[in-house]
Amino acid sequence: MLAHQMAMESPFIEAEMVEAMEFPELSNRFQVSGVPQTTINAGAGRLVGSAPEERLIAEIEKALENQG
Amino acid sequence: MTERLLNDQLVGQLKEVFTDLVNPVHVLYFGSREDCEYCPEIEQLLTEVVGVSELLSMETRDLEEHAELAETYRVDKAPGFVLLGKVGQNAQQNAGHTDENPAYEDYGVRFSGIPSGHEFSSLINDLVLVSRRDSGLNGQTREFLAKLEKPVHLQVFVTPT
Repeated sequence: MLAHQMAMESPFIEAEMVEAMEFPELSNRFQVSGVPQTTINAGAGRLVGSAPEERLIAEIEKALENQG
Repeated sequence: MTERLLNDQLVGQLKEVFTDLVNPVHVLYFGSREDCEYCPEIEQLLTEVVGVSELLSMETRDLEEHAELAETYRVDKAPGFVLLGKVGQNAQQNAGHTDENPAYEDYGVRFSGIPSGHEFSSLINDLVLVSRRDSGLNGQTREFLAKLEKPVHLQVFVTPT
């Protein structure tokens, strides 16, 4: 999984694959509708669907900027 | 005795894929006796998968009983598990979760819930990924990540297909 690859590459990244049906509260909290959905830093960013590396990197960058 | 979850054909396929394993991988699994419907099944599934290769090992813990260990590895949900790199020939079972004896390398690869359907192959691929000790990402991505200095927690929500 791409997110896990990112975790392998950087010590600052942790990636958790979450089974949405087993954790409905968490899924609701992040308004998971379509899967896969990648939530970044508890909602600072998000990406719905599968995406190539470049796209996930861009969303990570955006999320970190949003956090300030 | 409960039935095996993985049939002979699947075990055969796993043996094939696991020829790509390079370095040892240790699965640190946390179950819970409190409100965890899928815990017994996932524990059995992981045990069977790990049993297919000598390069894979597994350790079963309890989220409540081993709360400190769970916190160390930032596991807060059961069933939850992390894929660790097992380093060094002297890495013993149950040893090495302290700084004095770092027998395990934590790359931040975590799972919450049972990987089924399409996600099962993600689990298998991730075991190979961790055993390679390399992300397989392209140069541009690696460059960006090398400059990263802030924590990033990615949570990828999936459902069985």
